Amino acid sequence: MIKSVMCCCGSGLGSSMLVRMNVEKTLQKIGVSGVSVTHSSLSDAAEGAADLFVVGKDLENFVKHLPRVVVLNNIMDKAELETKLKAEFEK
Amino acid sequence: MKEIYNMLKLENVRILPGVKDWKEAIHVAVQPLVDGGYCEPRYIDEIIKNTEKLGPYYVLCENLALVHGSTDQGVLKRQIAITLLREPVKFKEDGCDVRIMVTLAATDPESHMEVLQAMSELFSDPESMNRVLEASSEKEIYDLFVEAA
Repeated sequence: MIKSVMCCCGSGLGSSMLVRMNVEKTLQKIGVSGVSVTHSSLSDAAEGAADLFVVGKDLENFVKHLPRVVVLNNIMDKAELETKLKAEFEK
Repeated sequence: MKEIYNMLKLENVRILPGVKDWKEAIHVAVQPLVDGGYCEPRYIDEIIKNTEKLGPYYVLCENLALVHGSTDQGVLKRQIAITLLREPVKFKEDGCDVRIMVTLAATDPESHMEVLQAMSELFSDPESMNRVLEASSEKEIYDLFVEAA
């Protein structure tokens, strides 16, 4: 059960905030509620910090140690995000 | 008053022919914020260092980069700058061509949300993206951002 999602980028300010806004919209769209969504820097991405992590493809190699990660090829692509989030929430 | 008026000044919107590489791209994208006293000159070098360490995580999609570092890397005041390149630049060999650089100087993790929201709206519409790419003046780009906010 996913109760928290952390979106990460190199500095935890820009790209990660955009992803967070899109994750919030997408969860609402697919009818998932009660999930806390945050954005943060890669250095905060540790096992236990969230149930699911979302990063852009550039940072894929830095999150290999985390149990559940969604990697986005295109940070701005809401369709890609929706497909990948749905898959995680249906697991 | 809309937050965009605090966060974006017309003098920080620039149109340039092109740059020789991604490092020069970072320089020209951040320089207006250095000149305006929104960040220290070291913000440029810190972003280049971040990129060498982590990759260009701020390239959002084809044509668009949200150039930024951390709050503690020399940011003084919250602000954005916009640079349009007539010729694209790549931040890594197999990466996207980038022509629009939005440079963000953020002082905390949250307070620039409204501006990023507007940017996200503006660029998720391919037609508006093209209007920015084909803009003939700085004022045109500025107006598109203000309208989106």
